[in-house]
Amino acid sequence: MNEQNPVPPQIPPRIPPIATPGDYRQLGDDPAERVAITNVVAAIDAILRHPRRVMFQLRQPDAGKLIAMMLLVSVVCSLIYGVVAGTFSGGDQLWAAPAKIAAGLMISALICLPSLYIFTCLSGSQARLVEVCGLLAGLLMLMTILLIGFAPVAWIFSQSTDSLAWMGTLHLIFWFIATIFGLRFLETGFSHSNARSHAGFHTWVVIFLLVAVQMTTALRPIIGTADTFLPKEKQFFVSHWGDCLKTTDKDSKSRTRE
Amino acid sequence: MHTQPAKLKAHPAEIATLLRGETETISAWSECWSAQRFALHIAVIVLGAGLYGAAMGWWRDPQQALYVAIKFPLIILLTTMGNALINAMLAPLLGLNIPFRQSFSAILMSFTVAAAILGAFSPIIAFMVWNAPGLASKSLSGPAYNFILLAHVLVIAFAGMTGNVRLFQTLARLGGSKAVAFRVLVAWLAGNLFLGSQLSWILRPFIGSPTLPVEFLRQAAFHGNFFEAVFHSLQEIFNN
Repeated sequence: MNEQNPVPPQIPPRIPPIATPGDYRQLGDDPAERVAITNVVAAIDAILRHPRRVMFQLRQPDAGKLIAMMLLVSVVCSLIYGVVAGTFSGGDQLWAAPAKIAAGLMISALICLPSLYIFTCLSGSQARLVEVCGLLAGLLMLMTILLIGFAPVAWIFSQSTDSLAWMGTLHLIFWFIATIFGLRFLETGFSHSNARSHAGFHTWVVIFLLVAVQMTTALRPIIGTADTFLPKEKQFFVSHWGDCLKTTDKDSKSRTRE
Repeated sequence: MHTQPAKLKAHPAEIATLLRGETETISAWSECWSAQRFALHIAVIVLGAGLYGAAMGWWRDPQQALYVAIKFPLIILLTTMGNALINAMLAPLLGLNIPFRQSFSAILMSFTVAAAILGAFSPIIAFMVWNAPGLASKSLSGPAYNFILLAHVLVIAFAGMTGNVRLFQTLARLGGSKAVAFRVLVAWLAGNLFLGSQLSWILRPFIGSPTLPVEFLRQAAFHGNFFEAVFHSLQEIFNN
């Protein structure tokens, strides 16, 4: 008896892969990702709705224009958020806070760019320096757009409270949430560059966060007031935050006694 | 082992290939001498280690920054050249039959990787130093000093380890055996550490001391050696 089955086995239908952040579909597979980003509005829309489109466009020869657009949006958005942060103290802080927030973000990114490129290369990624710059610009743009989203909430609180520590904490929380989304974009871009390991990237994230929080101390005061534009005394952020909390604690105790 | 023919012309973007550890290309580079590539690696060492040295010395004084920017690459280059002969002799004795030029090139490339990493971290170190209280007015203690010292140890250790991992990968490809590559790496590492630590001792100070003048070399630079100093320190610890 012939046991061979004359009917060929049925091949199960191919199920399209589910799109997840960790999914490794090639960039540009979807025709929508190949549509060029020609203006600022398209760049904002793309980074919020189709981040893969931004990642694909960053690999194209004319990525420089897109990077410049993203940096421009980051500067404008951080200036707007800075004005909102400055309304807490008013006066000179209305121009000093936006200048410090915009400059602080750009300087932090610039300081951390070489190490990001080195970690990218060490992890075996094929990303070029331009692409790494673009991903970092994307992180900044996404972060600052989200900060603009938080700005009305920050403004309401800045008009209704006198507590510097409370406002500082609130801005840090908003910044932290915005940064998480920005870093998620960066990591997705990193995953698409054939990186063997994410350990270097995660180390860089810690460095970037430390540099950024230290920048808030180096450029203080951002929401409070002072006699000079920049601080006279050098401090690490942990001791500065500790001092702020102690001052607030004393103020609140004296108010309770009054 | 057959490798792809290497290009004689070098491009700065090749540093990314070194960092990624693309052993096939790197082995081909080590087999084929290129003056341009050699100059590129030297330039990366001078620039990367120099920038890191500047960031390190800046805490004490801008003049100290200039001195350390010269001394840091000098240690790397002098160590590479000082041990070039013995390293080339040890390799065949330990089972890796490669010519002098290839062993020299492999070691130089590992230092290039380390220097590129150091250079990339130099803005972060400079930012830390800028945020720290001035060293000139403080004693060599306190959290800021310890924190910066720890950061230097971590960054230099990371750069050194990565350079050696890439060197190991290259040696394993050249020799076709991980055991041979490991033996050669340990021998080279021992020699480089031995000479490197003495050169660092001669070329001290790096961070500098607030109580001592800023100078390129200490007056007692050639008195004693690193290992004697370690031995005396250990003696003092146990005598107390």
